[in-house]
Amino acid sequence: MVRARSTASRLKTLMVYVLLTALVGFVLLPFVQMLVLSFTSTLPRDGIAQWQFSTINFQSIIASPLLSGSIVNSIIYVSLNVIVTLLVAIPAAYAIARYRFTGDKHVFLLLIAFRITPPVVLTLPVFILFAKVGLVNTPVGIALVHCVFNIPIAIWILESFISAVPRELDETAFLDGYSLPRFFVRQLLPLIAPGVGVAAFFCFMFSWVEVVFARILTVTGGKPITMAINTLYGFRTDIGLVMAMTLVSLIPGLAVIYFVRNHIAKGFIVRT
Amino acid sequence: MAGSGHSKIDSNSAWWLLLPALLVLAFVGVLPLLTIFNYSFFDIFTLEDRYWVGTEWYREILASERFLHSLGRSLLFSAIVLSIQIPLGVYIALLLPREGRVKTAILMVLALPLMVPWNTVPSMWVSFMDEQSGFGGQAVSLLGFDFDYKFNAVHTWILLVAMDTWHWIGLVVILCYSGLSTISPAYYQAAAIDGASRLQVFRYVELPKMSGVLMMAVLLRFMDSFMIYTEAFRVNAGGPNHATSFLSLDLGEEIAAFDYGPAAARSIIYFVIILTVAWAFKTIMNIRQGESRRVGA
Repeated sequence: MVRARSTASRLKTLMVYVLLTALVGFVLLPFVQMLVLSFTSTLPRDGIAQWQFSTINFQSIIASPLLSGSIVNSIIYVSLNVIVTLLVAIPAAYAIARYRFTGDKHVFLLLIAFRITPPVVLTLPVFILFAKVGLVNTPVGIALVHCVFNIPIAIWILESFISAVPRELDETAFLDGYSLPRFFVRQLLPLIAPGVGVAAFFCFMFSWVEVVFARILTVTGGKPITMAINTLYGFRTDIGLVMAMTLVSLIPGLAVIYFVRNHIAKGFIVRT
Repeated sequence: MAGSGHSKIDSNSAWWLLLPALLVLAFVGVLPLLTIFNYSFFDIFTLEDRYWVGTEWYREILASERFLHSLGRSLLFSAIVLSIQIPLGVYIALLLPREGRVKTAILMVLALPLMVPWNTVPSMWVSFMDEQSGFGGQAVSLLGFDFDYKFNAVHTWILLVAMDTWHWIGLVVILCYSGLSTISPAYYQAAAIDGASRLQVFRYVELPKMSGVLMMAVLLRFMDSFMIYTEAFRVNAGGPNHATSFLSLDLGEEIAAFDYGPAAARSIIYFVIILTVAWAFKTIMNIRQGESRRVGA
């Protein structure tokens, strides 16, 4: 009896691992394809046979100011976006986690509304508005407009982490004469560091890959990676170069994933 | 939800802490929405030269057959996407071990597609499904399927759904998993002592803890699938024969043609649809939560 049960449970574990392996395969296969193509010369060229192994795509990226510059632009706007989002979201999340105030029940609904406003709906007025204040063709414009979907996400995640911190911490700190900003920096932030990391991960993720706002706000200059890739699409698209560019764009993402790997899904709940 | 409620301090000055976030949101969210609401009642030649047309654009769009067809297609796409990705995401999150390196490694792999630029996701899949050189395409033709996403509408739909699932399943899993990991082992022990079945554990222990993040997953997946643009456009440009022209493709066309008035009215219509559906989701979730709390007590 005992033996039969352990065989059954072993079989069950085996099944779980088979399913998880299939899942990993499904996710990774298109990436393998991308990797292969990025090291392939996919257009006929002098001196390199088509469909031959080659590093020509990566040489092209380095040689093109548009492509290599776009990496810098992307990093600038995403960093700016994450900084601005966290700066305004931390106090907001603290307020929601710790205080009861008139209208607090509606704040979450308001945040949901902002988060689910489709970017394509906002493109036209955002372009007109940003053109008036000189925020078109700069990474700053993209950084700002991405706040519309990142601030709600950051507040949701941070609120959950702050609520998990016992309130005695705040009370003791204030009795010790800490001001609110000093309490944030010295005591609260070190405690909710994983939460800040997770919030930054989500902001990075939604901002780095976004194309709708990025396109409308970079007409002539300041193009991020996504828009630099858009310029590669044409009558005869060099798919190898597109894949090489995609591979390059994944590197910062990989770094971010690695950085938050232990906290990526660690215990946050969202209050609705 | 409950518990921490009574330890909160009453203070309306908390609004001051929310102010910076609200100011940024007002600038990048409220102001554009108001602008577009205003535009939707005008015929706009240039931004200075415009004529009041009242609700003409709204009536025109809502009465057009094309709008209704696109709406139907977008709703169907969202329905398929949600009915696959939400159960699958919950299932995978439950399969994952609670601790250890395997779990971390799988979560990292699942997060990978989320980092791919949205305009290269379709390129990756089109190359992957290429009959001559793609792994996926070769495998499919080896199995004897005649996969033709360019001219067969059903195949285009299958490709879009598979691609969207590949792209976003990680988000659903990460959110569900984070909800699950807030459950302390004591709950599971208590359930085991009570002799609860696996289904009961899921229904009364795990699902309630996941409800918040699940709500977020549903809303995010609904909005993004309902407004799918780049992915659908790059795969087949709305074809074959308009079988995959979704709502956002129509709007994209109008903006590209500088039809500001109708584009503005269309934007407002889409926004209202999204808000209505989100509100409906939330209401249903709240009612169900209320019921399960009564049953649980």
